[in-house]
Amino acid sequence: MHISFLIHNAYGIGGTIRTTYNTARTLAEQHDVEIVSVFRHRDEPVFDPGSKVTLRHLVDIRKNSPDYEGDDPRYTKPARVFPYTEGRYKQYSELTDLRVAEHLAGLETDVVVGTRPGLNCHIAREARRGIVRVGQEHLTLSTHSKGLKKTLRGLYPRLDAVTTVTEADANTYRRQMRLPGVRVEAVPNSIPEPGISPADGTGKWVVAAGRLAPVKRYDLLAKAFAKVVAQRPDWRLRIYGGGAERDKLRALIHRLGLYNHVYLMGPANPLDPEWVKGSIAAVTSSLESFGMTIVEAMRCGLPVVSTDCPHGPGEIIEDGVDGRLVPVGDVNAIAGALLDLINNDELRQRMGGAALANSARFAPSQVAGRYEALFSDLMSRGGLRGSLHRTRGALLSGVYATKDVGRQAFRKVRAA
Amino acid sequence: MTTPSAQLPTPASRPEPEASAPLRADSVADSAGGLTFDIDLTLPDPADWNAALVLRLRGDAEGADEVRLPLSPAGERRVRAVLPSTVALPEGRWDVYVAVGDERPQRLAPGLNDLRSLVDRRPGPSLSPLAVCIPYTTKHGNLSLRSWLRAPHAEAGELRVADGTLTGRGRLYRVERPVAWLTGAVVRARLRRDPSVEHEVPVTADYADFDFWLAYADLAAHWDGGQDVWDLWLARADGAEEGEGHAAEAAAGTAPADRSSATRVRIARILDDVVDKKPVFAYPALSLGTDRGTVRVTPYYTADNDLSVRVEGA
Repeated sequence: MHISFLIHNAYGIGGTIRTTYNTARTLAEQHDVEIVSVFRHRDEPVFDPGSKVTLRHLVDIRKNSPDYEGDDPRYTKPARVFPYTEGRYKQYSELTDLRVAEHLAGLETDVVVGTRPGLNCHIAREARRGIVRVGQEHLTLSTHSKGLKKTLRGLYPRLDAVTTVTEADANTYRRQMRLPGVRVEAVPNSIPEPGISPADGTGKWVVAAGRLAPVKRYDLLAKAFAKVVAQRPDWRLRIYGGGAERDKLRALIHRLGLYNHVYLMGPANPLDPEWVKGSIAAVTSSLESFGMTIVEAMRCGLPVVSTDCPHGPGEIIEDGVDGRLVPVGDVNAIAGALLDLINNDELRQRMGGAALANSARFAPSQVAGRYEALFSDLMSRGGLRGSLHRTRGALLSGVYATKDVGRQAFRKVRAA
Repeated sequence: MTTPSAQLPTPASRPEPEASAPLRADSVADSAGGLTFDIDLTLPDPADWNAALVLRLRGDAEGADEVRLPLSPAGERRVRAVLPSTVALPEGRWDVYVAVGDERPQRLAPGLNDLRSLVDRRPGPSLSPLAVCIPYTTKHGNLSLRSWLRAPHAEAGELRVADGTLTGRGRLYRVERPVAWLTGAVVRARLRRDPSVEHEVPVTADYADFDFWLAYADLAAHWDGGQDVWDLWLARADGAEEGEGHAAEAAAGTAPADRSSATRVRIARILDDVVDKKPVFAYPALSLGTDRGTVRVTPYYTADNDLSVRVEGA
């Protein structure tokens, strides 16, 4: 199989880039895989694509490069194909429109995979006939703006498959979008096996990691930990990550008198050596599109106490087996679940072992295998059925592009 | 994925996609404080007895203070160097290089640093100076080591600030008779801008553990505008004997017996894996009225992880 990934910028850092490299590298062991980056802003990628993955770019924005294209007049003209409802619209231009279109028109691969909504739209509109078109959703449908949803509703019917990172989000797509003939499938992010031995469950530390952002609700975690400390002052909490909430959180920690027990550690990379210093991981978010840190912690042998927030945690943690799921926003429940694990060494050790075993399903080989099966399936569907589906998709697109009245009307259409 | 996790732009985790970067050293700390370094490297000449991990004390002229640790094969295309806990590095920051054959030593980048055994370190009884060595990543992404060498050593533990008072707890290491040492001992705050100004409070001791209460008003009384820093020392009752248990002296290589008779030692926090305490161990500021206006008083750890108290205008 010949597979081509289309990504915003493969030379930067970030979750989508990391997981794309993981998948691409693993697929490349058996297939021809390329990663095509719309932008290139530095000479070398931060992550190593490995020797078997081909990496190339479409628009060079390295100022020191002889091929620098940032001064091309088309680079400053607004994009027309890349949808203006997409979060990264401002970075796209007439020049990217042109380059992506040329790239897709000339693409000779079996499969093309888009990694963000705007690029999935390019693929829906411009990929050559006969190529399997896959659009990945690394965020969630419900967190997209109304405008973007409308755009996607118009164009995604022309894809062969949409992949989400959770079943919950896949269900949202099935419910809220009319995508006849389009496979909607959840494929989780992959997390490699840590290069360090797992936690042994003896350290009296709870570890959390993530951006210090309001959505992570570390304020709840601090308040819950105040209750933990009241009972078990020998246990402490480390929160890794940086972000805008730092000063607020520190003030809260001081107000709660927790400055000998709760520490803001700052960003750390890699995180695995930090996870293994703890015996329990905590996630108190109000929203997790996937829940990367949950899987990371489990792969290091930590049971995770997490809020059962949309979308990921409930699909990763098996409550009472390899971690605990507690109601969103419930300080007492968070504290209670932490104390259950803190006060029961045997339970904690057992759940840590289960976390280690159960998280193996997120290994890159497993995840790449699911993509491989999906791609093969879609390819074999090809031919007449494929082109019929696409014609239908194109018609549907037209309907929704001209008349989109949201989900209400959408339900009526489906009922009719 | 949506959760940009708490990560910086220098990934190194294997078998993650690795950064296209220079040679990396994975390090593992043992509970005694020793370090093992593993590097993915094939020695061109297995009989190269000069192949070494080179530690250079920062700020020194080239070669002035250099420690060479021999590299030996550790599996296929992997070499290992060991810094045993018995090798006490002089206090400071050490840049880490690998030297092979006649080539110029190459600076190493950090790989995975497994420092879990340092986290809640409780060093065993001994009269040798206490050696602490923590690998860390510099702001340029290189591997360096931060070392401390103290004899005796006064480790700061929990600190509480309330009611205009700093309540501190600590533990004394590497003295022969901690009970005798701590009997009548004091915590001495010394004003940095004028070291002749000192303020002492007694400690209460329980074997090697000690507690102290420092009233901020006694420090604030000396405030005269600007920022005052008070460095906290643990000092023996009998100030007769000379000597300071601190870096410079330990580095000078005095015998352990002499060091443990040191009459005072800086209170510090070094028995864990956190190389830079200041941003992590942060304490609330208390406001206090003085004759010259309101001041804010805050305990903090210095760049060397020594405990000080800052007094500044509010």
